[in-house]
Amino acid sequence: MSIQVPLLDIQNFSLEFRTRSGTVQALQNVNLQVGKGEIVGLVGESGSGKSVLSYAMLGISDAAAKVTAGRALFGGTDLLQADERALSDLRGREISMIFQSPRTALNPIRPVGLQIEDVLRRHAMAARGRTGPDAALGLRERAIQALRDVAIADPERRWAAYPFELSGGMCQRVMIAIALACRPSLLIADEPTTGLDVTTQAAVMDLITGLARERQMATLFITHDLGLAADYCDRIVVMHAGHAVESAPTRALFDHPRHPYTARLMSSTPHRDSTLASLLPVPGALPDLRRSNLPNCRFSERCERADGRCAGPLPTLDAGAEHSVACWHPSPRRAAHV
Amino acid sequence: MTGFLASETARHIRHVLTENPVTLVAASLFLMFVLLALFGPWIVPYDPLASDSAAALQPPSWQHGFGTDSIGRDILSRTLVATRLDLGIAVSAVALSFALGIALGLAAGYFGGWWDTAVTRVSDTIMAFPLFVLAMGIVASLGNTVGNIVLATAIINLPFYVRVARAETNVRRNAGFVEAARLSGNSDLRILAVHLFPNILPPALVQVSLNMGWAILNAAGLSFIGLGVRPPTPEWGILVAEGAQFIVSGEWWVSFFPGAVLMLAVFSFNLLGDALRDIFDPRKRT
Amino acid sequence: MSERQLLRVERLAKRYPVAGSKGQRGALLHAVDDVSLHIAPGESLGLVGESGCGKSTLVRLLARLIDPSEGRIVFNGEDLATLPARAFARTPQRAAVQMVFQDPTDSLNPRYTARDTIREPCRLLAGMDAAAADARVDEVATQVGLPLALLSRFPHQLSGGQKARVGIARALASGPKLLILDEPTAALDVSVQAVVLQLLDRLRRELGLSTLFVSHDLNVVRLLTDRVAVMYLGKIVEMGPSHQVFAHPAHPYTQALVSAIPGHGPRIRLDGEVQSPINPPPQVCRFASRCPSAQDRCLRDAPPLQGPCGLPLPAAHLAACHFARWPEALVV
Repeated sequence: MSIQVPLLDIQNFSLEFRTRSGTVQALQNVNLQVGKGEIVGLVGESGSGKSVLSYAMLGISDAAAKVTAGRALFGGTDLLQADERALSDLRGREISMIFQSPRTALNPIRPVGLQIEDVLRRHAMAARGRTGPDAALGLRERAIQALRDVAIADPERRWAAYPFELSGGMCQRVMIAIALACRPSLLIADEPTTGLDVTTQAAVMDLITGLARERQMATLFITHDLGLAADYCDRIVVMHAGHAVESAPTRALFDHPRHPYTARLMSSTPHRDSTLASLLPVPGALPDLRRSNLPNCRFSERCERADGRCAGPLPTLDAGAEHSVACWHPSPRRAAHV
Repeated sequence: MTGFLASETARHIRHVLTENPVTLVAASLFLMFVLLALFGPWIVPYDPLASDSAAALQPPSWQHGFGTDSIGRDILSRTLVATRLDLGIAVSAVALSFALGIALGLAAGYFGGWWDTAVTRVSDTIMAFPLFVLAMGIVASLGNTVGNIVLATAIINLPFYVRVARAETNVRRNAGFVEAARLSGNSDLRILAVHLFPNILPPALVQVSLNMGWAILNAAGLSFIGLGVRPPTPEWGILVAEGAQFIVSGEWWVSFFPGAVLMLAVFSFNLLGDALRDIFDPRKRT
Repeated sequence: MSERQLLRVERLAKRYPVAGSKGQRGALLHAVDDVSLHIAPGESLGLVGESGCGKSTLVRLLARLIDPSEGRIVFNGEDLATLPARAFARTPQRAAVQMVFQDPTDSLNPRYTARDTIREPCRLLAGMDAAAADARVDEVATQVGLPLALLSRFPHQLSGGQKARVGIARALASGPKLLILDEPTAALDVSVQAVVLQLLDRLRRELGLSTLFVSHDLNVVRLLTDRVAVMYLGKIVEMGPSHQVFAHPAHPYTQALVSAIPGHGPRIRLDGEVQSPINPPPQVCRFASRCPSAQDRCLRDAPPLQGPCGLPLPAAHLAACHFARWPEALVV
């Protein structure tokens, strides 16, 4: 077990949304760590809070969002308490994010090369003696190099292209280029391949993880696709209804899922050996997060293992441990398949 | 009735009205104007046409809330009674515009092709005309009546509805539920009437409310220059025109009060537009 | 070979005129090109392919929402292609071919309750009166597992899975024989997806429906279909029994597609430019520009859809490739 200080250390993070119809307890007591050079998959269905979490890291949450507890330590700074100026300096330079829909994330009336240069210019990367492999190059050259790094053919010509001239997969690559232009130490990828064809998806994922390994960049990869996370992530954190319920290295998670929700999630995802009958869906429905009487374990109402103990406070997920689960009845370690 | 009051619709309306105090103000004002239009002639203190030379050009007082005009008529009574005519002209013109404009816009947005070209060209031509020029043209050829003023205002407003309907229909034309409607056996006409029209209604209704304000202003403006409504019929534009000559000599109330009420009417209709959209768009409900 | 097919599509094509690049006139985009397939009664055919392959266009042609440029769509012995799409809603065949759409939110009229949505085809297609239609709505809602209490709700008050059920109920209301499913679970969470897939399979068996199941998710297609057709740039490049096509893909494109599924081993990379679907030269194989196995012959002699040994056997495994890799058992 590594004793390195994690690059991103989220502790006891709770967040709520004030809406017309009530207060949504979007996140509660979330513990999560991402180490330097580690690729962590944050897996959950819609409503699990995974995107909300990532937006809060960069301070771009919805205006109705309110942090009610916890810290998110990034290199000594608490991201949840930092002011806009500090966050603005971090965004793009130390922490970057890529989004789900590349076309809407790019400025439609600005050539893609200029959009990359914008980031470089904002963080004053072109001039003033910054060290590193691209120090001597001007802004334009660095933008072209960024396009080359994301395997866009003919980057000199594509520098001047507008987003509408590029395919979905290429737009996604441009977005990755913008995010990685300043070589951040943490990349948050929010469902970057949803909506892409399966072959393009594979290519984009190869690109992201390849660059991550090459640059020792920590990556938080958010997805609803367990299979995708399994192929590319070192470790996986499963989220359910605003809670982080299980955290484990990928292989361990798939061999021995300990939380009942994780097990059900796996069994309802079709894979190469599934049959229709073998798909066991998750029973019941997500609890309404606006309820004031939410149980401590938000899965207990539809869990087959639930009993009186589950009404008490939930065991905390130890983000630093190898395989940790927030459940009173986890499957035993090294047991057979659930 | 109690069923409705307890229903979700009523709850939603109550919510919209109370969430933003401005909406409540606008709704109350709107209601006041409607009541005035309906009951004005019965609640005013004086006969709006009765003159009393002895009491001419009196400033506002307890007997005459808004003062009197040059031949002693009570301005308060005249202003309140004028509500019916102004609102009447505006509502007729907007209703006409709405009906025709929405129908044309729906056809243009849905069928495209030469329908679209024809409708947009006509709409562009209308937009090139200033209202007063068009109104004078119509009046010159068809006669100086209130009916023709309604017609002129309706024509001028047509492009707004055509554009809203066309744009909203275009957006929804290939939506899943339109294709599904075809699969369920709907003919084109039925799709337009039953599926598309109710869904483009919310933005169209916002347009209606804004348009009402504008139409009231148009009606007043045309009467101000002598087209359509003629004295001694009380109408806000005429009332303002009658008082224009007295502003210089210090009898400000003759124009001021009718003008202020006119402004208030336009204002409340504009505010109402947003509230209407909030009420009618089911997706804004929670 | 001459068994009675429910649906037989023969050389179907759809071409759109487009403004050609460099001002060439008469440029046509070949969205669907020379597609032939068949579905037997009670059979389920999968249709897979990536964006731009033409499956959406093919689906809309078969659902008779648009008219083909050429070809026949023979349904129960009658050529539907001769009936124009504009007037199809009023023909008796409309009730027999129905579709479930991809996005349940987009495909439900936001101002219709669930009951209104399901009732419409009963009234318009089956000609039922109000009482009979309501009874049918209840019957079909129960079949798809939708609680009757939810029928009075609007789409925004229903969950994703519930909306999907409404869409399925609407498609079943008129008693169709062929059900086209256009990515019916793409917009759903994975746990709800499993439930809906099991429901679709159960309905198919109980009602004896034939289905055309379109999806980009190959794992899902493999679970629900008897046979599968793989499309690329408007043409079918491989067709055969589902398990066999996925376990032993013969065509290089299918091989690449299957290898790209997470967990299916080393990925076959496809490099090279995608060929333009505008005025494609007929003698060139459409996939040749990206194919790892491409050779000279592929640029001169576009391969037809054929079985091993070049025989077009309707029931067997077919691939449009001169160098298809057939499983040994098939090669006689």
